[in-house]
Amino acid sequence: MRIKTLWLLLAMLVASLALIAAGCGGDDDGGDAAGTGATTEEQDDGGGEAADQTLTINWGTEPPSLDPGLASDTTSANILLNIMDPLVKLDEDLNPVPSLAESFETSEDGLTVTLMLREDGTWSNGDPVTAEDFEWSWKRTISPELAADYAYQFYGIEGAQEYNGCEEKNCDALADKVGVNAVDDRTLEVTLTSPQPWFTQQLAHHSFLAVHRPTVEQFGDKWTEAANIVTNGPFLLDSWEHNANINLVKNEDWRDAENVTLTRIDGRMITDGTTAVQAFEAGEIDVTSGLPVEEIPRLKETEDYQQYPGLGTYYYGFNVDNITDVNQRRAMSLAIDRQSIIDNVAQADQLPTTGFTPQGMPGFDVLNPDSPWQPPTADIEQAKELMAQVDSPKTDINLLLNDSPGHREIAVAIQAAWKELGLNVSIKQQEWAQFLEFIGPPPDKSIDAFRLGWIGDYVDAMNFLELWTSDSGNNSTNFKNKEYDGVIEEARQTPDNDARYELYAQAEEILGGEDGEMPIMPIYWYTYTQLERPTVQDTYNLNLLDQVDLTQVVVQES
Amino acid sequence: MTTFIVRRIFWTIPVILLVIFMTFVLMRQIKGNPFRTSDRAIPAAIQQNLERKFGLDKPWYVQYYRYVKGVATFDFGPSLVLRNRDVNDIVREHFPRSLELGGLAFLFAIVFGVLLGALSALKANSIFDYSAMFFSNVGFAIPSFLLATLFIYFFALQWDLGFPTSGWTTWQSKVLPVVALGIGPMAAFARLVRGTMLETMQQDYIRTAKAKGLRWRRVVGLHVLRNSLIPVVTAAGPTLGFLITGSFVIEQIFAIPGIGRYYVTAVTARDYSVVMGLTVLLAVIVIVANLLVDVLYGILDPRTRDART
Repeated sequence: MRIKTLWLLLAMLVASLALIAAGCGGDDDGGDAAGTGATTEEQDDGGGEAADQTLTINWGTEPPSLDPGLASDTTSANILLNIMDPLVKLDEDLNPVPSLAESFETSEDGLTVTLMLREDGTWSNGDPVTAEDFEWSWKRTISPELAADYAYQFYGIEGAQEYNGCEEKNCDALADKVGVNAVDDRTLEVTLTSPQPWFTQQLAHHSFLAVHRPTVEQFGDKWTEAANIVTNGPFLLDSWEHNANINLVKNEDWRDAENVTLTRIDGRMITDGTTAVQAFEAGEIDVTSGLPVEEIPRLKETEDYQQYPGLGTYYYGFNVDNITDVNQRRAMSLAIDRQSIIDNVAQADQLPTTGFTPQGMPGFDVLNPDSPWQPPTADIEQAKELMAQVDSPKTDINLLLNDSPGHREIAVAIQAAWKELGLNVSIKQQEWAQFLEFIGPPPDKSIDAFRLGWIGDYVDAMNFLELWTSDSGNNSTNFKNKEYDGVIEEARQTPDNDARYELYAQAEEILGGEDGEMPIMPIYWYTYTQLERPTVQDTYNLNLLDQVDLTQVVVQES
Repeated sequence: MTTFIVRRIFWTIPVILLVIFMTFVLMRQIKGNPFRTSDRAIPAAIQQNLERKFGLDKPWYVQYYRYVKGVATFDFGPSLVLRNRDVNDIVREHFPRSLELGGLAFLFAIVFGVLLGALSALKANSIFDYSAMFFSNVGFAIPSFLLATLFIYFFALQWDLGFPTSGWTTWQSKVLPVVALGIGPMAAFARLVRGTMLETMQQDYIRTAKAKGLRWRRVVGLHVLRNSLIPVVTAAGPTLGFLITGSFVIEQIFAIPGIGRYYVTAVTARDYSVVMGLTVLLAVIVIVANLLVDVLYGILDPRTRDART
């Protein structure tokens, strides 16, 4: 009797195994056809457009939100900017050019920006895109109820900061005072707190996209799901399986659909860099970004490797309350070998810094200080001379890093360089969230130096240089300099580009020039690395903000 | 038996309350701000708006009460970081994947582990035994993330066997992760079964059974195997729990949209509600797995049944 139960159990086990196998087998055919077949089979001869304009890419991670008001990361931004229609786009030289807004004008005093929307903008449900959509969307993002991380993107607009910080009683009144006004269906008038020449560029940021009010009101938090979402851009959100894939299809009804070639983008979410590279090599995906450092030397040799300059700076900050002598900070910066760190550790042909604001920023030639304290290769002799002038040097250095891959290797190289100056460096690594708590601002007293990076949100040096003002929430150095604050404040009020670049140059001088204070020690300017099939290499390009414009991409026959 | 099961289910309530309490305290003890996801500073007004929206401006006992209430009503609230999703959505969509992955790996481990262990014991000290045990030792010693990477490299990339590198769609895509996850426990089961079977075969009652003239096949099936399975069942409970809840690394490497990836990223991001919801879920799984073991004991060993009813 009992032995029968046992065998019965075993039989059931085997049967269930067989059932599972059979069940899985069913969806095999469909999955394979959609997955790998698309690009590898088209490789006949000759150039020209491939018949199948399907592209399979790796988004990298699950986008935390596809709500333009709530998104605050690159993945979300990249998807949003291809499924929504921004008012302006940035051209190759990062100048704003009309997109959904056919024209935009800034008033004489620089305080009012008037945007004229195109007539033919439509939502994917057929509704026209109006100026009211933008007014409602922006005020929604600013509202304290939405509690958007990026509400501060709007702080340059009159009344926005007040509304964002309102208490329940006065919120409605303050909402009405926000300087965004739909004059009529197609005219949007924006009033700024001060002249902000970068405002029209900032409009290309995903925070300034419009959302479809009836959809948001109907579905609440769930309006971004593929079944609910209403968009207005060149591509439609076809499906979204969380943490697995987001697939887009061409929006045939989009206003400029005839100039869009791709018909479909299948996007996977492979977080692990090594797996993503293997998926690329197995022919499962056509594009993947963010290559693991250890793979870069090998991949560089392949025809698929591509790299793009990025608008970002990798730097070390000094706690100037602990390392008080400017000569010590200069010496520490002189002692490190930026080029060697790039060649041997970072490995993606990053650029050694000569200032804080990265190359590629408009006005770079004027504002870059060509810092004497940031040579591409170490100048140990001068560094030692400077160290000798320091009365009471801080010789035990606590260096704080977060524990993401790659940072420790760079820190070890720097530790060795600083040892030559007689400094004992102890490297402490912390997990990201704790790390952020420790660096403040103000930084924990025990910290002498820390690592960080800054990636631009919009294309003006203000976005970088305002970090080092006294009350900046991103200034963890305790560096407070009235002159510096004054220069930045003046730059905020200066609409003329050339005059403003001169002010930025002064700010860069104070940071890293001949008499620079060196509260920070920039190391390199970022690059973005990718693997791309030769069939899309010509047209798949990342801009300085790590964004791809999928309307430009064409799959060529190989 | 029923009373026993009911009593065990009843006992899970204080256990879960304790789990909630400890998770709550631990998450508050480690520093970190769930709303600061990048290095960008958050202006004070925005931080305040966020805390108000998610109730983090309330005193700790109010927050604690809300968590307990959430667990009691099966509503774990919204994620603080993935702004368009609730913890319930995450569990509903992603837990079945982890369950499938862990379950398949468990079946793989049990079926092949018991088979390999039993055959090794029956043919002890043969070539088969030695190679099977060598294989088990190696499988046990190599961590799953290394196996996973090697599997992808060889089976998906170098040799064109039709396995994709990643994903969780076709049955082919499930083979590599299931085997990579299951091989460690399989090896453990194989060694366990071999050891206990060899020991059982020395027992007097086996000799008696043989002396009675029972066919060897029946002796093995009825007496040896059955008595050797008790330690396997003991180990199986925690193993099942571990396979369902501990597949984070495999999910990460094979890009499988399971719950493990959410759990680890939620802790890193200080996503309190997700951490709380998933911890409770995982606690329940471990409790259920152990309950199953106790029930199975009763079936395999009648002596333990009487003690509990």
